[in-house]
Amino acid sequence: MVSFAARFEDPPLVWGVGRVTVDDEVVPWPVSSADVDDEAESLAPRLAALGLGDGGLVLLVSLLSQAIHVVPFEQAAGRLGARYSSADATPFDAFRTVALTRQLTPAVVLGIDSRVCDGIEGLGRGLGDVFVSVGAVVAADADAARRLASAGLPVARWLRLGPTSAVSTPTDDALVYDDARWRVDEEDGALLLTNLVPRLTGCERFRTGVRGRVLGPGRLALER
Amino acid sequence: MTTLDPTRRYFSPEIETKPRAEIERQRDERLLGDLLPWAYERSALIRETWDAAGVRPDDLRSIDDFREQAPFIDKDAIRAFRDRHHDPYGGLLCLDPDDGGLKNVFSAIFSTSGMTGDPTPAPYAGRGPSFLVREFWELGCRPGDHFLHCLFTFRGPGIHDTVRGVGATPVFVDHQPEDVPQLFRFSRELRPTGWYTLSGPLLMMIEAAAAETGEDLEETFRSYSGVVFAGEPIGPRARARVESWGLELFIQTSLGDVGAATECRQHDGCHYWEDTAFIEHLAPDGVTPAGDGQRGELVSTTLIDKIAPLVRYRSDDIVRRTTEPCACGRTHGRIWPLGRKGDEVVVDGVSVLPGDVWGAIESIPETEAGLFQVVRDRREMDALRLRVGYATPGPRGLSDLSARVADAVHEAVGLEPVVELVEHDVLLRQGPPHKIPRVTQG
Repeated sequence: MVSFAARFEDPPLVWGVGRVTVDDEVVPWPVSSADVDDEAESLAPRLAALGLGDGGLVLLVSLLSQAIHVVPFEQAAGRLGARYSSADATPFDAFRTVALTRQLTPAVVLGIDSRVCDGIEGLGRGLGDVFVSVGAVVAADADAARRLASAGLPVARWLRLGPTSAVSTPTDDALVYDDARWRVDEEDGALLLTNLVPRLTGCERFRTGVRGRVLGPGRLALER
Repeated sequence: MTTLDPTRRYFSPEIETKPRAEIERQRDERLLGDLLPWAYERSALIRETWDAAGVRPDDLRSIDDFREQAPFIDKDAIRAFRDRHHDPYGGLLCLDPDDGGLKNVFSAIFSTSGMTGDPTPAPYAGRGPSFLVREFWELGCRPGDHFLHCLFTFRGPGIHDTVRGVGATPVFVDHQPEDVPQLFRFSRELRPTGWYTLSGPLLMMIEAAAAETGEDLEETFRSYSGVVFAGEPIGPRARARVESWGLELFIQTSLGDVGAATECRQHDGCHYWEDTAFIEHLAPDGVTPAGDGQRGELVSTTLIDKIAPLVRYRSDDIVRRTTEPCACGRTHGRIWPLGRKGDEVVVDGVSVLPGDVWGAIESIPETEAGLFQVVRDRREMDALRLRVGYATPGPRGLSDLSARVADAVHEAVGLEPVVELVEHDVLLRQGPPHKIPRVTQG
């Protein structure tokens, strides 16, 4: 196999500038390569809990602006011996989610939001029909979760919580985050995030814009 | 770790300026000695195609033998194999997906744009920076810079790894209308030098957002030393508009699904890299090589992809091609994209490609975004039928607008078109976001 630059000759200190969105306000969020690696390590158990394992495939439906949240899932799949594929979380690209789900039979599809649901239904396809063979369909918002569940699918939730992620499973509604790396505090129903391990962009009781409850160590519930 | 010298002219000078004889020697060695035996041995589609033609890699002693004997494949052959064998990779995959030893090599599966049917899964071998480091360097991007990565997800990490390959930091922005405000903001706050990619639809979104907010685009975009424009051709009006913002565009075009070809600072054709692909272009008879500088169909063979290699892949793309050295000092081949073979319509003996009417449609203020489709049920048509997107009906209504579009097109190609006007959104909904299908069935 030929590699062109062969290696990163002069890698930047900042892996990428992503973003965290708080109450519709975009906060630029630089991360390092070490941050991405550590998040991948942290998220691998979340994917395993969804049923992704050796030889499996997860279809990640997302936007490039979500890269600091999604690339760790890509790398986490590799840590489990699994592969990943990608589609855009837009109505226009819903045809790709449909086609790749049919062609690649993923064990997990993560990131379906209400716009992707709109796109799939706009193609004249039913959600239950498209995802019938998928072990876990992970919704990115409440509306998608409701619609997928109404279609009789095994639904979980993905929550972008500041720069990290919390994920539930089809059999447990609690959103699980890594409490060895992050502390979540609750203040009048608002969830605040603090990093417990080094991160390029640190947060100390960062207001995530998410309202919910801490159920116990590493477990959250969203406000209904 | 080494440090990249920001003053060096080329990213890989020893490769980019290699003498032609050496380029061809290396090509022959890779193609005949390595790629073909590998692909024939492992790719079910290549083996089936070559066996049907009665040819084996051992039969080919020279590049002339390859040109005379190697059979072609195309997208239809891949899809047919996929459907026949229920193989999502269309018989191209050369590795056993269940081989545990390959997990760190074959890590993901991306897909083609899907503009001409189902997206085709493309197995990905995590390789770090791609050959586009040469192009990003040519844009003027250097270590320590920010680089606007404005694309979609289904092509994988190759681009952001490549940005880091030149020592720069990617800034992630969606190729979507909703994210144009962040594109403006990150451009102002982080002052990126490179931008990958700008497209016709995104350009339209930027213009609309700037008109609404009064954004001073020349000031907002002043840090960029180069912007890659990709997805589809750009018309003269759009190009002039972008250049009025102070942006230097570098056109990029697909290289028959084995890579990409991108302009250099001379803007005299799109460079492709002959250490990565063997490119042929064929005369209209479909067999004879077209001459240097002539128009022909691009046929691609990878020299480096051993995961799912395309060998003599008919791309359907019509290009002009030369292997003459460029004034920039690089010695590899260049192409000028002209259109797609399947997009051509012939009316009253006149051949028309979408690019032939592009400028005419852009010349009318209400349709200046250049969003249009040629309605094509077959190659030979009784009339030139166009579906054209408009921003507003104009001061005298749609029939007047239709007549003005028809007059402009008539002047450009000598044919009186049948024009169907539709709102922009009707066409934009047919994305993917960076381009729309330029041909549609009636």
